[in-house]
Amino acid sequence: MAPVLPLVLPLQPRIRLAQGLWLLSWLLALASGLTLLCSGHLLVQLRHLGTFLAPSCRFPVLPQVALAAGAVALGTGLGGAGASRASLDAARYPPWRGILGPLLVAGTAGGGGLLVLALGLALGLPGSLDQGLEEGLGTALGHYKDTEVPGHCHAKRLMDELQLKHHCCGRHGYKDWFGVQWVSSRYLDPSDQDVVDRIQSNVEGLYLTDGVPFSCCNPHSPRPCLQSQLSDPYAHPLFDPRQPNLNLWAQGCHEVLLGHLQELASTLGSMLAVTFLLQALVLVGLRYLHTALEGLGGVIDGEGETQGYLFPGGLKDMLKTAWLQGGVAHRPAPEEAPPEEAPPKEDLPEA
Amino acid sequence: MALLKVKFDQKKRVKLAQGLWLMNWVSVLAGIIIFSLGLFLKIELRKRSDVMNNSESHFVPNSLIGVGVLSCVFNSLAGKICYDSLDPAKYAKWKPWLKPYLAICVSFNIVLFLVALCCFLMRGSLESTLAYGLKNGMKYYRDTDTPGRCFMKKTIDMLQIEFKCCGNNGFRDWFEIQWISNRYLDFSSKEVKDRIKSNVDGRYLVDGVPFSCCNPSSPRPCIQYQLTNNSAHYSYDHQTEELNLWVRGCRAALLSYYSSLMNSMGVITLLVWLLEVSITAGLRYLHTALDSVPNPEEPECESEGWLLEKSVPETWKAFLESVKKLGKGNQVEAEGADAGQAPEAG
Repeated sequence: MAPVLPLVLPLQPRIRLAQGLWLLSWLLALASGLTLLCSGHLLVQLRHLGTFLAPSCRFPVLPQVALAAGAVALGTGLGGAGASRASLDAARYPPWRGILGPLLVAGTAGGGGLLVLALGLALGLPGSLDQGLEEGLGTALGHYKDTEVPGHCHAKRLMDELQLKHHCCGRHGYKDWFGVQWVSSRYLDPSDQDVVDRIQSNVEGLYLTDGVPFSCCNPHSPRPCLQSQLSDPYAHPLFDPRQPNLNLWAQGCHEVLLGHLQELASTLGSMLAVTFLLQALVLVGLRYLHTALEGLGGVIDGEGETQGYLFPGGLKDMLKTAWLQGGVAHRPAPEEAPPEEAPPKEDLPEA
Repeated sequence: MALLKVKFDQKKRVKLAQGLWLMNWVSVLAGIIIFSLGLFLKIELRKRSDVMNNSESHFVPNSLIGVGVLSCVFNSLAGKICYDSLDPAKYAKWKPWLKPYLAICVSFNIVLFLVALCCFLMRGSLESTLAYGLKNGMKYYRDTDTPGRCFMKKTIDMLQIEFKCCGNNGFRDWFEIQWISNRYLDFSSKEVKDRIKSNVDGRYLVDGVPFSCCNPSSPRPCIQYQLTNNSAHYSYDHQTEELNLWVRGCRAALLSYYSSLMNSMGVITLLVWLLEVSITAGLRYLHTALDSVPNPEEPECESEGWLLEKSVPETWKAFLESVKKLGKGNQVEAEGADAGQAPEAG
């Protein structure tokens, strides 16, 4: 059985390996801490913007998975730092000897799996943001007037605060407000002829105006904000056609929010990639250190040369050994296993 | 009779020196924190200096920055001294400097306490600066074409949106000034001409407010114009309507923001002051304990440490005596010089 990727490790290179591993482990801990911060920040942002994302949008899963992956990576980093530090000190190594094996398995399976999943989500999920924001913002615009309806009474305040904070107006532009009734019916005078005309002029009986809420106003405009009669160029005296964009915010909230969330997701994705790389390096290094020290029987200062390896044999050899081991374990008790039971293929240990 | 005498054996002295060394480095960290707090306050005041007419006093943040830097310097020096005090050879070179250094530490502690007090007391001057600055800011709101003041509209709008406030004391302040630029008034309209003629200064005054006064929590779309005219809007009573505009004035809002900032900084500075006082006391004990070692060749022996060699009234009397002697010494020298010169002249 030839070991896979063997590496001869005399004393000095072992010490160098342990020291380098210690440094890499702390770097991994730092990177995973930053990943945790990034995903926490994204979670908080999504909590604020929750009303503007359709419930069917799966985007919030990304920061949750990244949080879990970051936590496992942090554990791996701290464990790696402790193990590599202990491997330089003969008195401290014995308790770590037992932990190192399970740590490697947990790190590879749990941490590696989670990181790959998070990376995949970071690449795939931002695409679904477009549709989710489109639906969510459309619903929010529709519920702007429902300040008396339980369940939607906060829509107006949230929409206003969104437009004020992110400097945007409507979904794709201010004209979106022309297509929804954003004035609550409670404050419409039924005896006013203009109101009656407007309501009767469309099929659904909505009060549509060519005006926008105050939160669309742009403070950079030199004149007081023009909010109403926006489609009539002669309604406002001395309206300067050279500066039409300064009156209201020109951007739509869809573009602004999409850019904002995609930027956060890409930062998180790059942090996850760095963490993945560092974790792979740390786990490989730990495996070599572990097997090298096992070869010496757990004696740290042994001057002899020893071999570190990734796997004790090739994949075929490992499967054969595992099969034999499984078969041996089941043969002494044949009466326990009824003949219809599935063969012990499921006993293969994790590689 | 010495003040607060404490017996020290070798072990206790070493523990005191080590503890002081640690406390000094913690205090260096505290000094860095105070420095950054002062910097933060300075930046916050600068950010809003437009509405304070650029005349706000930067005394508090400047003194916090200065005190933070000084604390870092003094405490790292004290840490070095405490570290060296464990080794008699190294300590010998610091010995002559300790007494003046302790005097400097005491005066620094007094200065630190005064700075902490200032943080709480600056509220009054800030209030008057804000009142004056906001009044001017609102006056220049309409001057979006005047170079040097064209940013005032944007500044006031962003301020009212961020701090959720309207006007100086309330939204009625906007009724008393012309906040719409003449450039956007149609002078051929009768309504405009009537309004301008109706007051002495020929200003266009409206009972309306800018859009930035609007409160997003209001259930109805914002009513900005004809605020005192109930019949202009359906189902509207200006006496009882509270949610339409921000009720708070910007002076009160800004004042409470800066007050809370300075109060918390004052509390932190007081805590650091307590730390510094205990470090100074500990250093004094270490100094006197090491000085009163009877036999320098035998470091294991016991010694006594105290805060003051004599009791407080006696120390004060001795201090006055030394000051008087200093004066008398000069006088005697002067007389001697005169007497010396007189026979020479004669």
